[in-house]
Amino acid sequence: MIKGILTMTDVELARKKGEEHQKSKISTIGRSFSYDETAYHLPISYALTGIAVHEQKSAADVYAKTGNNPLVASECLLADTTAGKGKEPEPYTGFIGDTVIRKLGYSLVDGSILGLALVIGKPAGAGSAAAICRELQEKYMLTFLAGEVIPTLSGAGVKLGLDYRLIPLGSTPSYGIHFVDVIARVAMMFGGVTPGDTHRLLTYAAERAKAIVIVFPGLTDEEIAFADGMRVLGFPILSLGDYVGGSWIAADAETVVSKGMEEKGIRVNVTAIPIPMGCSPAFEGKSIRKEEMYVEFGGGRSPAFELLRLRQPGEITDGQVTVIGPEIESMKEGSANPLGIIIEVSGKNMKKDYEPVLERRIHNFVNYGEGSWHVAQRDLIWVRIAKEAVAKGVRIEHIGKLLASKFRMDFPQLLDAVAVTLITDAAKVIAAKAEAEKVYAERDDRIKGMRDNDVSTYYSCTLCQTFAPNHVCVITPERPALCGAISWLDGKIAFEISPSGANQPIEKGAVINARNGEFEGVNRFVKKASHGEITQCSLYSVMEYPMTCCGCFEAIALMLPEVNGIMVVNREFKGITPSGMSFSTLAGTIGGGAQTPGFAGISKNYILSDRFLQGEGGIERLVWLPSQLKEELKERLEKRLAAAGHPDLFAKIADETTAATIEDLIVFLERVQHPALGMEPLM
Amino acid sequence: MAYTIPFDWTGAIGDVVLGATKSEGGTRRISYRIGGGKTLPFLETGPVSPAPLIAFEICDNPVFWPPLIRNYCGDLTNNVAEWAKTAESAYGADMVRLYLTSTRMRNFSDFASVKKTVETVLSATALPLIIEGSNEPKIDSEVFQACGEAGQGERLLLGTAEAGRYRSIAAAALAYNHSVLAQSPIDINLAKQLNILLREIGVQHDHIVIDPYTGALGYGFEYSFSAMERIRFSALKGDADLAMPMICSAADSLTIKEVREAEPGLQDEMAVRWEFFTGIAAAAAGAEIICVRHPKTIPLLRAAFEDLKKGTRPEAEVQ
Repeated sequence: MIKGILTMTDVELARKKGEEHQKSKISTIGRSFSYDETAYHLPISYALTGIAVHEQKSAADVYAKTGNNPLVASECLLADTTAGKGKEPEPYTGFIGDTVIRKLGYSLVDGSILGLALVIGKPAGAGSAAAICRELQEKYMLTFLAGEVIPTLSGAGVKLGLDYRLIPLGSTPSYGIHFVDVIARVAMMFGGVTPGDTHRLLTYAAERAKAIVIVFPGLTDEEIAFADGMRVLGFPILSLGDYVGGSWIAADAETVVSKGMEEKGIRVNVTAIPIPMGCSPAFEGKSIRKEEMYVEFGGGRSPAFELLRLRQPGEITDGQVTVIGPEIESMKEGSANPLGIIIEVSGKNMKKDYEPVLERRIHNFVNYGEGSWHVAQRDLIWVRIAKEAVAKGVRIEHIGKLLASKFRMDFPQLLDAVAVTLITDAAKVIAAKAEAEKVYAERDDRIKGMRDNDVSTYYSCTLCQTFAPNHVCVITPERPALCGAISWLDGKIAFEISPSGANQPIEKGAVINARNGEFEGVNRFVKKASHGEITQCSLYSVMEYPMTCCGCFEAIALMLPEVNGIMVVNREFKGITPSGMSFSTLAGTIGGGAQTPGFAGISKNYILSDRFLQGEGGIERLVWLPSQLKEELKERLEKRLAAAGHPDLFAKIADETTAATIEDLIVFLERVQHPALGMEPLM
Repeated sequence: MAYTIPFDWTGAIGDVVLGATKSEGGTRRISYRIGGGKTLPFLETGPVSPAPLIAFEICDNPVFWPPLIRNYCGDLTNNVAEWAKTAESAYGADMVRLYLTSTRMRNFSDFASVKKTVETVLSATALPLIIEGSNEPKIDSEVFQACGEAGQGERLLLGTAEAGRYRSIAAAALAYNHSVLAQSPIDINLAKQLNILLREIGVQHDHIVIDPYTGALGYGFEYSFSAMERIRFSALKGDADLAMPMICSAADSLTIKEVREAEPGLQDEMAVRWEFFTGIAAAAAGAEIICVRHPKTIPLLRAAFEDLKKGTRPEAEVQ
């Protein structure tokens, strides 16, 4: 039988009527009342106002003070009822004493309980109610029950009690108010909420109390007013039929628990990854040589790509791994095969901007696998799976499982669901790759436009303070961290993911020196983060107050007074530079968190930034690069130089083949008429 | 002689209260308020900053204790109550640090005994207690629940919280108003991070004592020393997330080669020396609580602290 809309209960209407009832009843409270075993009086009223309610006058007072709050009304009225009727018989618990709450609170902080649920009303059948409670138990939720649902469950043989994490509060849904008084007390005992601090209590309830409410049909108007009143605490109210209107979330028995948990952000932690190979950062550095490899993908030998996309909640199923195309058994040993890795994620806090940052983690995660190996990114990826792993039963599917689990484990605040699709069918890989390339291009456009002047916040990185105690990296859109591994966007995201971590926002504040990139806010931050050691820091200068160096820099920019220019040497260069020193000697001189005018640790990509050497008059100062680095940057550097109005400068930058010593360099630069020679003196 | 060195410190170390007397809701004969320092240790003389507290370490299953101490303390080590009593009456400790080593037995599950042991030790000594719970994450929840409950009202210091493992201890501290011993592996950043994690879960700063992890002198103590120095510098420069008192245990000194391989007749002597020098170095680095396992180390440390407080050369030199 299909229930007509006319027989459904309108939540809004019922709530209004219920609140009216409550209002008239409050004035008729005749008894004085108090619960045993608590130091918190009527806990909700006490937490909200700091007033100890024990009779009609104070009840009316608190009710008025809280703007006729339906939770306060429910609490006072039930206390009055209990005082009159006495405690309900077993199995009903009624009001729960402080000692038990302390233990419950312990389990919540401790993490052995993930969250709290209240289930009230009259289920249509025992089956669905039992299934919902079983799911709540399995998901480490502590469930409170009130009303008809209790006899329904016990009639179906479901065991109730604290040990089973199913607590039967009372015979009618109105006893559900004890669920709220439990949370109010947890807030006061554990959350540092002082009685009367309404704001703090509401914040605690909304942000800390992981609570959901599941409503079966059959609630009276007053009970609806009570249930709806819990929305102010930030608890999602999920209704199973019979209710329309209001802000309740309609759900069905199969999905109500997961819907509620997702809504409230309660997550079950993934701990073990069910794949037949080890998975740990310990394996990250291990490569798989050709002889050890069973199959490979990409690396120029076959089409391959990876892509991470944000999807709407509900569009994907968490943990789902799909392989489209042949599995590893049907691949020839030693062969190169097509591969598309598509990670789809959803999460309330996840943003589209984070896609590329998370996508980069695919690299780490695949390498965590004992028998899987990954290099490069986007459509340049190269993946190998070891013979040994395949012999142990590793399949393409397991790479997907590994990725799905690791993303969930490492980004619990960000991601609610992760689904992985692995494509091995050649035609489908090629088609999907074309799509992915469009996404890459869009992203590049988005990042490319970012300028230091466009943002007021930069990000710090103090990861390296472990060994360079006073070093602070300041990361701007145009100046990545000197290790090359963290961009401004990465810093921003890292801060959002872990607000107390090593990447903190820096308000750049007033400009002190625009050319050198010195800002009031940056100086202030650097002074504090360097423990008072560094008081000034110019972001765009090598000569004056350059940024400090840890030891991770990809390259060093240093001044050569003899030629009035700046040279750059990267870590890979093993020879002696025209400065008379090798990279490692230079690195030893400038690292450890010191500020060394004339020297700066930089990332390779920073050479291409418009801000590079701005303080020294621009990229025209660049006189020497190792040939390998020059080659690596060639295309992009030529573009950059042309944009700066020096299309011919690339050829004028010396390397170790054209100028191995400072004497050679002077000769070379004079011969090519390098602009640095004619610039204002560096010193 | 008082030293006047212009450091320009802007911060101060926060206070932590350990133990609760009858009037404070507990049963201890004394409670301590540690912390409060505004400069480096031993630069202020007099009552401004008290000398570090000396805690004596005991355990409830001596199988896990250094043989050297088992030999020296003898039968006491099999009776945790008597041992605790002796630490107070004969050894002259300021605090007792109880390691629940019984929980380290394989498949330990007798959580009622944990509660009983803590209660026994609480009635055996009237000194404030430091309780070291389990070593095994799987049983943390039950063990710390039992410790917390047994010590309700006594303001215990519960250990040891680490970055990956702090929830149960934090929960016990929050539920029963105890303090947390927060250990990081000789790393200022991790020390700070853990304090922030604890704060986020609800443990207030005045309920945290930092354990920077103490290597034995000559076996890594220099790393501990500089980590501690930096923690203290940061705190005094105003970093509230590091402005907590510190605790150091010289326990590692008892297992080093020089002590293990000392001639039988000289072993105690050697152990005491290593504990003493590690302890005095830790105090110089700023520790507010020094933990030792050899009873003979206690009077030496006490004499040395007193002399340091006076700013004079120690009279009781180690022989």
